Amino acid sequence: MIKLQNVCKSYFLGDTEVKAVCDINLEIKDKEFIGILGSSGSGKSTLMYLIGLLEHPTSGKIFLDGNDVSKLTDSELSKIRNKTVGFVFQSFNLINKYTVFENVLLPTKYAREILDFNVRERVEELLKKFGIWDRRDFFPNKISGGQQQRVAIVRALMMKPKIIMADEPTGNLDSKTGDEILNILESLNKDFGVTVILVTHEKEVAARTKREIYIRDGKIVKKYL
Amino acid sequence: MKIQNGYLDLFKAAMADFKRSKIRTFLTSLGIMIGVLSVVLLIALGLGLKNYLAQQFESLGANLIIIFPGNISSSEEGGGLGNFGAGFAGGANFDEKDYTNLTRIQEADYVVPLFMKSSVIESEGERKLGYLMGSSEDSFKILNLEILEGEFFTKGDVLGRAKKAVLGESLATNLYEAPQDAVGKTIRVSDQRFKVMGVYKKKGDREQDNAAVVPYRTTFGTLNPDETFFTIYLGTRDEGDIEVVKEKAKEILLKRYETDDFTVTEQSELLSTINQIFNIVNGVLIAIGSISLLVGGIGIMNIMYATVTERTKEVGIRRAVGATERDILSQFLAEAVLLSVFGGLLGLILASFIVLGVRQFFPASINLLAVLISLFVSSGIGIFFGVFPARRAAKLPPIEAIRYE
Repeated sequence: MIKLQNVCKSYFLGDTEVKAVCDINLEIKDKEFIGILGSSGSGKSTLMYLIGLLEHPTSGKIFLDGNDVSKLTDSELSKIRNKTVGFVFQSFNLINKYTVFENVLLPTKYAREILDFNVRERVEELLKKFGIWDRRDFFPNKISGGQQQRVAIVRALMMKPKIIMADEPTGNLDSKTGDEILNILESLNKDFGVTVILVTHEKEVAARTKREIYIRDGKIVKKYL
Repeated sequence: MKIQNGYLDLFKAAMADFKRSKIRTFLTSLGIMIGVLSVVLLIALGLGLKNYLAQQFESLGANLIIIFPGNISSSEEGGGLGNFGAGFAGGANFDEKDYTNLTRIQEADYVVPLFMKSSVIESEGERKLGYLMGSSEDSFKILNLEILEGEFFTKGDVLGRAKKAVLGESLATNLYEAPQDAVGKTIRVSDQRFKVMGVYKKKGDREQDNAAVVPYRTTFGTLNPDETFFTIYLGTRDEGDIEVVKEKAKEILLKRYETDDFTVTEQSELLSTINQIFNIVNGVLIAIGSISLLVGGIGIMNIMYATVTERTKEVGIRRAVGATERDILSQFLAEAVLLSVFGGLLGLILASFIVLGVRQFFPASINLLAVLISLFVSSGIGIFFGVFPARRAAKLPPIEAIRYE
């Protein structure tokens, strides 16, 4: 489903080129539950954003369902992100001035095609499923971290994506709540067939996934040290 | 189901943001409001004044030639508008001899001298500010005055220096409540007394409506010690005679005065000169008013840049869920334009109220053009000053934006 071929991404800090990730060759199959494990600064987030089509690679190619997406325009990439990828972040990244309901609605505002579902019904169904329907009119800063992360998951699921990318989803949560979130991600993969890519620096978290990738100094390594 | 980002969605999103920061929204719009207010007011006052003057000249009869001191002629010797002030400041002092000479022009059917000064007019204990006009019996015809009560004075009254006066309706109303009561009463101007013979109908011309018209010869003495006239009017029945009369009048006056000392012009010429002057004056006024619009626009730009920085994370989140650069651009641009149009509307409403208030003593008017211009200009300012901050927001790299705290 997703294939990275010799992918490099570098930044310029002033005049010096910093390679965030390089020579990445990776294939993620449909309906996989995969963990990307790396310490902070290892380049694991950059890798996730590349897979999530938020960034163009400096070199190399990225294929999505067999199509080269590494040279697509901003508007084409945005369309794919909107339809195919859902993001879940460490700091939840909800828009604080919008209610839970409005936050969850956000991806549908950027849909490029007529949706095959009723937006309000879907919001209701998902919020009920994750037990936060009674929080729909709350602003994000008035609900708990676990609840916020569930809202973020609902937002990621709104457009029926094939891929969920979770960047340290448990990083801001206590272990019990974090566990619940991991259970949800697991069930998304198991029960709904969504490809889940989990990025983390915690071995125990990565251990919940079915396949682990280790990344160090911008490269995929065989063993996590 | 909806397709992404209808205009309604943009509008709603912007309004939601404004609601959250009402004071900032209001203050930002205030700049544009003041700008639009000043431009619309200046247009309203300028156009009002221009229309008022034009109307005054039009209320004089047709086929009218006007002679006054100074030179405003724009065709001769390139003096143009530069000499306009001279018309009020200096030049020839016409006297009865000029008047008599001008009456010899055969083609001129009326020749009317006019002396005018603002005066306090007293009667029965009332003291009102009005105008004293010294003129001849033909002035009533040439100025298109209609009698309301009583009668006008005659040629005999002029020659006999009769102490008689005909009042404008407004002046008569001010002095006696009912203008009909004026006839037969006595008015006093300085140390002179006049018997009121008649009252003429209102014309909508402030000076004329508040005047006491008396035989010009009667003013000679204390009221008009120099025995001069401010203006001499010549009227023809036949439009074709206008040019001939003008030429002959110039010929006559040149025997006593220099070219620059007087102007012989006709109503339409004078009107176009006035229009010319007011177009320039209005242009300058609008340019000055536009400076405040510019300042308002810069205010919007400033706030929009601050907003973009403040909402960097929001931009990142929107990009992650599928917003294109264009979507972000439209969002911020819509906000800038709405802020600006909101200010423009406020300014327009305020200007309308001020014009309504001012109208009682100044002929100001708001026209559709001013309304359209102010709305167009304010949305234009929103776009112009909003596009740079909006572009910055759109060009934010999504990853950096989303990590921004």
